[in-house]
Order: sequence, then C-alpha cells, then structure tokens
Amino acid sequence: MRDAYLVGAAQTDFGSFPDESYRSLFRTAFEAARDSVPAGLDPEEIDEAVVGTLGVGGRQLGLSGPAATEHVGLHGIPTTRVENACAASGYAVRQAVQAVKSGMADVVLAGGVEIMTDMSGDATKYWLGVSGETEWERLSGTTFAGVYAQMADAHMAEYGTTSEQMSHVAVKNHRNGAKNPHAQLGFECSLDDAENAQTVADPLTLYHCCPTTDGAACAVIASEEVVSEYTDDPIRVAGVGAASDAVGLFQRDSYTGIEASQRAGETAYQRAGITPDEVDFAEVHDCFSIAEILAYEDLGFCEPGEGGELVESGKTALDGDLPVNTSGGLKSKGHPIGATGAGQVAEAFKQLSGEAGDRQVEGATRGLTHNVGGSGGGAVVHVFEKEREVEA
Amino acid sequence: MTDENPKIEAVGAYAPRFRVSAEEFRQAWGQFHAAGVNSKAVPDADEDALTMGYEAARRALDAADLAGADVSFLIYASTTPPLAEEDLSARLGGMLSVPDDATRHVLTGSTRAGTRALDAALSAGPWGEDAVGLVVAADCPRGEPDSSEDHAAGAGAAAFVLSESGGDAAGDAAGNASGAEIAARGEYAEEYPGTRFRRSGSEAVEGLGATGYERQAFTETLAGAVERLDFDPEAVDAAAVQAPNGKLPYRAAGALGVGTETIQAGATVHDLGDTGAASVPLGIAKALAEGAETVLAASFGSGAGADALLVESAGEGGEGIPASLALDDGEEVSYAEYLRKRGELTSGPPDGGGAYVSVPSWKRTLDQRHRLLAGKCPDCGSLNFPPEGACNACKSLVDDYETVELTGEGTVEAATVISQGGAPPEFAEQQAQSGDFGVAVVALEGPDGGEASIPAQVVGVEAGSVEIGDRVETTMRRIYTQEGVTRYGFKIRPQGTK
Repeated sequence: MRDAYLVGAAQTDFGSFPDESYRSLFRTAFEAARDSVPAGLDPEEIDEAVVGTLGVGGRQLGLSGPAATEHVGLHGIPTTRVENACAASGYAVRQAVQAVKSGMADVVLAGGVEIMTDMSGDATKYWLGVSGETEWERLSGTTFAGVYAQMADAHMAEYGTTSEQMSHVAVKNHRNGAKNPHAQLGFECSLDDAENAQTVADPLTLYHCCPTTDGAACAVIASEEVVSEYTDDPIRVAGVGAASDAVGLFQRDSYTGIEASQRAGETAYQRAGITPDEVDFAEVHDCFSIAEILAYEDLGFCEPGEGGELVESGKTALDGDLPVNTSGGLKSKGHPIGATGAGQVAEAFKQLSGEAGDRQVEGATRGLTHNVGGSGGGAVVHVFEKEREVEA
Repeated sequence: MTDENPKIEAVGAYAPRFRVSAEEFRQAWGQFHAAGVNSKAVPDADEDALTMGYEAARRALDAADLAGADVSFLIYASTTPPLAEEDLSARLGGMLSVPDDATRHVLTGSTRAGTRALDAALSAGPWGEDAVGLVVAADCPRGEPDSSEDHAAGAGAAAFVLSESGGDAAGDAAGNASGAEIAARGEYAEEYPGTRFRRSGSEAVEGLGATGYERQAFTETLAGAVERLDFDPEAVDAAAVQAPNGKLPYRAAGALGVGTETIQAGATVHDLGDTGAASVPLGIAKALAEGAETVLAASFGSGAGADALLVESAGEGGEGIPASLALDDGEEVSYAEYLRKRGELTSGPPDGGGAYVSVPSWKRTLDQRHRLLAGKCPDCGSLNFPPEGACNACKSLVDDYETVELTGEGTVEAATVISQGGAPPEFAEQQAQSGDFGVAVVALEGPDGGEASIPAQVVGVEAGSVEIGDRVETTMRRIYTQEGVTRYGFKIRPQGTK
C-alpha cells in the first residue's frame, strides 16, 4: 500500500464558547488546518472527509458529518461521521489514512468537533456517561470519573501507585498547557493544588480530571502521489494501530491496563517498524491522571506498574527524554470529546513542523498520538515521522 | 382451630440501620409528639417497603433453611407499597425466586394488613409437605413533618415462613413438636371514621387529633377482638400490640388483660417507631425469637377494626423458633439528615434526563438483577454475568450458557466513592438524599467455584469503608426511577452488615 502523509493540521482554541456552534467551530478548525498546509490547500482538492463527533447534547446526531462539511463549502464530497466516543476523531484520522492508502482518495480531511459547555450541569453529566456501559456500569452510579477511579484504586493496590504521582501528571500537563495559547486551562497548578482539590470520585480529585470543552480540530491527509504539491518537508504516517475491547470495565481481563491501547500501540509500532524508545514525544489520552499513567505502561514507555515513577522522575516533562502531552493534554488543553483525537494530531503536526513555540521539543523526528474511547472500549494510535530533525 | 392450620416455622425481621432520636426532634421542633418513642428507624434513600420486605423475607427463609423455590403461597402486606397500583407480589416473588405458579396476594390500606396476611395464610394453608407459605409485612409510614404521625413514623419489616409441620426435622431431632401454632384468632370492627387515614394521592397519614375519640376506637376494637379468644392472660409471655406511638399500646393493657411488662416484651416501637402494618408482625417475630411460648397479638386498623391472634410456640425451654432478626441500630442521623433521606428537602430528579434503559430491556435483566443468574461458558467454563453474547473470558460466541445461580457472596476488586456532583443525573437525587456513595467492581462467586465480575453500589456502611479484598454480599435496593417505574436490583454490602 502507498504511504499517507500529514500535510496540515490545526485546532481551534479549546474552551467554553457560548457564541460558537459546532459548525462555526468546525469552520475555524478547517480554515486553520487549510492554512497550516505549507504550500497551501485548495479545498477543491479535498476528495473526502471524515468527521468525528459524539454529538454531546444531541444537537445534530444524524448526518452531523455532512452538516459540518457542507457548512464550510466542501460541497458534494462524501463525508462520514465517526463515533467512537472520546476516540471519535482519532478514528476519523485513521479512516482518512485508510482511504488514502487504499487509493480511493488522494486528499482527505479528517476532523472532529464537540460542544459540551452550553448545557445544564445535569444534562452535561447525562451526556458524559453515555459512552460507558449503560445497563450495568452506568446504573451502578458511575460516569467515567467513577470507572477511572476504580482503575486507579486497582492500580494503587497492585503497584503502589500514589495519589501524588497522579497529581504529578496534572502539574506537568498544566505546566505545558500554560505554554499553549489554545489551552482551555492554560495555567500552572502546584502539587498541593492537585492533592488538596475536592474529591470527584475517590481517589481522583478535581485536578485529576479533565474539563468539559468546546472545540474542533482538523487534519489533512495526502497520498504519496500528491504530497509534494503541499510540502517539501513531509510528515509520514508511519504507523496506525487501533483496537477494541469490552465497553464495561467489569467485562475485561485487567483493570490496571487498557488492552485496546496495548494492541493499538503494538500494531502502530510494528507498522512503523520502531520500538517505543524511538518515540521522541507523545500526546496521550489523559482524560484522568491515572489514564496517562496507564498509557505510559500500555504504550511500552515503561513496564507495567512503573508509570507513576515515570512521571515522578521527570522523564515525561517537556525537558525530559520523552515529553508527553506537550500541548497540555486533555487535562489542561481540554477534552472536546469528538475533537480530541484530531487535536492531538494537530499538536504532533505543530511539533514536527517546528511551530510549537515555547513548548517545542528540540530535534524531534517522530511523534505518537494515543486516543482512547470511553474507559478503553476503543483506542487508536498513530506514529508520525519525518526525515529531517525539527529545528527549534 | 384444627391441626390442619399451618404453623410458623421461622421468622425474619429487618429494620433500616439509620436511627433518628426523639432528642433530635425536640431540638428541631422544641417538642416531640410521639410519646414513648426513643428513636425510630429511617430508611435509606434507596430503601422502601418492598426492599425492606425482601430483607425480612430473605432472613425468614434463611432461618428456615429454605429457598424461595419452596414457597407456594406469598402474601405481602404494607400500607406504604411503593406504588398505589401494581401487584408488587410479582416483583417481591421474583426477587426471592418464588415459583411462577405460587399463589400471591397483596394487602394494603390498613395497619391491620400484616395480621390479616397471617390470617389469610392460615386459612389458605397448609400447602403439603414440601411447600411453604411466606407472609411478609413491611411498612414505612410518613406524615406531614409537623404532625404527631410523622414524629412517630418509623420503618421495619417482618416475615414468617408457614408450613404444615412448623419445621418437622428440627422438631424430630429434639423429640418435640416444633414451630409456633396460631391457637386462636378473633376480629372486631366498629365504625370509627377519621381515626388515622391517608387521602388518595397523598403519602402522609393524618389524624384529627381528637385524642379521646381515637383512644376509644383503639381500645374498644382491640378489646373486642381479644375477647373472642379463649385464653389465660396470665400465660401470655409477650403481647404484640399495635403501636402508633410508644404509649398507646400500654393504654390498652387493661382492656387486653395483660401487664405493661408483657406489652414491652412484644414492643419494637420504642426503637423503631410506628411501623404500621409491620408493627404487630414485628412484635410477634421479636417475641418468638426471644423464646416467648405464648404471644398475644393485637393489631388495630383505623376505620376501625382489630385482629387478635394467640400464638403458641411448641419449642420448650425458651429457645424460640428459628429466627433471623436484623433490628439493631447502626448509625444515628440528625433531624436534617432524616429530612434529606426522606426527600423532604430535595427537589426530585433533574430535568437533564438520565441513562435510558427501557423498561422491557430492564425486564430482560431481572434474572440477573433479582436472581443473580449467571451463565457458564460451554467452551471454557468461565462464568459470565450477564450471560449473553461472546464469553468475556474466551471470547467465543456462545449460543447457550449453562445457567448457574451466583451465591450472592464475593470479593471487592476495585472501589471508588462518588462525591457530590460526580454522580450521573439519575443518581443525583439519591446522592442529595444520602450523600456520597460507594461503587465497587465485585467478583461474585459461583456455586461450584468460579466468579463473575460486576459493578454495584455499596450500601450498609459509610461510603469509602469498602476496600479491595473485602468480602461482600448482595442485597436488594432501588436502583433508580424513570418514567414512574422504579427499577430494583442488587447492591452489595460488607458481609454480616445490613
């Protein structure tokens, strides 16, 4: 199969925007992604689009993909909406790569959008739980905070992971997010702030949980036949992996790891022909601080049980050997469910294009994005790489 | 009476673990209108007269060493059934695995309902050597917060297993007869409107406060019923007398021909409050469990009417009959917490909607939620709960799981406590009433080994006190209410708590 390339990607500001609609946000992301393509992109050249969205609030559950692409003038092209909860647009990017690699399309727009902050608190909580296993898990009284709290509880019991280590995740990601003008919670927080915040679901405090967010992000995937028309410093989609698992935590073999992440990571590494230690930076799915610790272990950045020590060691900080969530992650940058996966790709594009400003990882040639649906019912991992090292 | 009547083989009783004291009321109101009530039981937000009835029934069956499958006659009595119309004996029977062809009755509308249920069972049985009758009385009355009815209103449930022999095996081993026989019964009714009533559509019982009139209705009907019995008052060890408050039963002592100590021996009102239709059944259960050989039971229902029953235990030496009573107090609550738990201070379910599980799809899970039926994978032998689709362990797509009933005991695998604001909206009301709640993933055990994991709410202990590795057991509680239909299902609690 031919290669696919990431030739452009961008996101809107993530935050709370009462004046924006899902279509207006998608437009902002689309235009920014178009403008991010080094040699420019004529929308006429886009063959197809894939839009990830959960549809929080139920605003346009049916045909939300075409509703978004027609709004931005991508008239007539096939558009598919992808729904895989929080991994919706990670999967949208994967679908775009698949369309390009298969030869059915040369240029595909993959994006995502979500509006989450315009509803009552109760309506928000309703929608936050719709991707959990409904009949048993949800009706035991949990949303995802509760389920990830159970995973944290099990991880702490099995490996001795501490609340403080989870707080280190929050501190690190807020420090990065403070350098990202698009971040929703772009401020730093102290270890004490994170440790002493109110409990949401024991042992998770407020600072161990990502916010609810409005936002959109888009990426442009091009084939090896046409990539030279858009850039002379191409970023190759070196590997893609994706996997599913039972939606309910109780239905899975392990509560201390996400098997879908493990499988998706293994597949992506294998296709990219690399090992985890060859990754220069990663955007991982830190919807809750324990999730980043699980991601380290599931993606092979450390051994199972060592994730807490890894963040504590500083290795995943911006100036560490393997910077993780340079964008601020879901924790600080924000988590607009359907836009999160494409937003991670936008950060990878920025880093590999040398456009990440104060948070630029020097000398990077390879970045990984990791996007999880729900508590692990789905996961998708991308490895992006380029020939030349990024110059800061 | 003839030998043909079934005997009481075992008793069970349950009261919620929360207590609010008379002192709390005095502090809140400057006075307390329920004389003789020291404290009263307060149901948790996810308890009602059905779940309490289940608790008592499960205990009675356990005490008799029987299962729901042995029940061929089920009668449920309550003045506060969670629904004004619906045959709740179907759900109660389902929770207890009572066979689908069992005879079922629901009695309501009067605090006499509990003794009427016993009377009806006596007339209906016995049901042969291998079948039993199950009488369940549960109640949690309430009044307007400033009324004497509410100050007295408590909660509790009692259940009786009735059989032809009264528990032959135990009796034979000791060489004696066993069980408790209802040796005599009497009734009396006289028109006394307005003595305690609840208007249609209202949850609050009312009284007129015409003290002399109400006391006369009470004592006249009770005495009238007791007069029908041919018995020696001197031989009565305990009297279980209807207790709208803690004083009225004693006022009837003279009319019943028994002393106050005898009444005290059959009283639960001082600790549990007014338990309505369960008041007299609780007294009988308590007295029998404590070894009383002769119990005089006298119930009152406004309107007014009374039942009198003379219960004679065959057991000698004060050992009592098989019983499992869970009436101890667990945790004191403040008056404000009492109002919260009852929903007086909360605004009801939120408008934002909740997880929508249609009633038909809920019904399809009742084998699991009410009866813990799991499935054994024919390929790898793993237990699946619920048993549907591909096996969680070996992932093979299974056509027919072998049905096995989980034991209801298990071990905590992961736990959390959902804090205020962290609950899905369908649980927001429960959380507003009861505070933070625990949710654990628990590995429930199969009858022949193996286990199946399932998430469930934790009850019976303070939130946060359950940890990985703790032993737990299932009980039945309200899960949530949507479209007016309350969905019940199992929750878990540390083993040995209630």
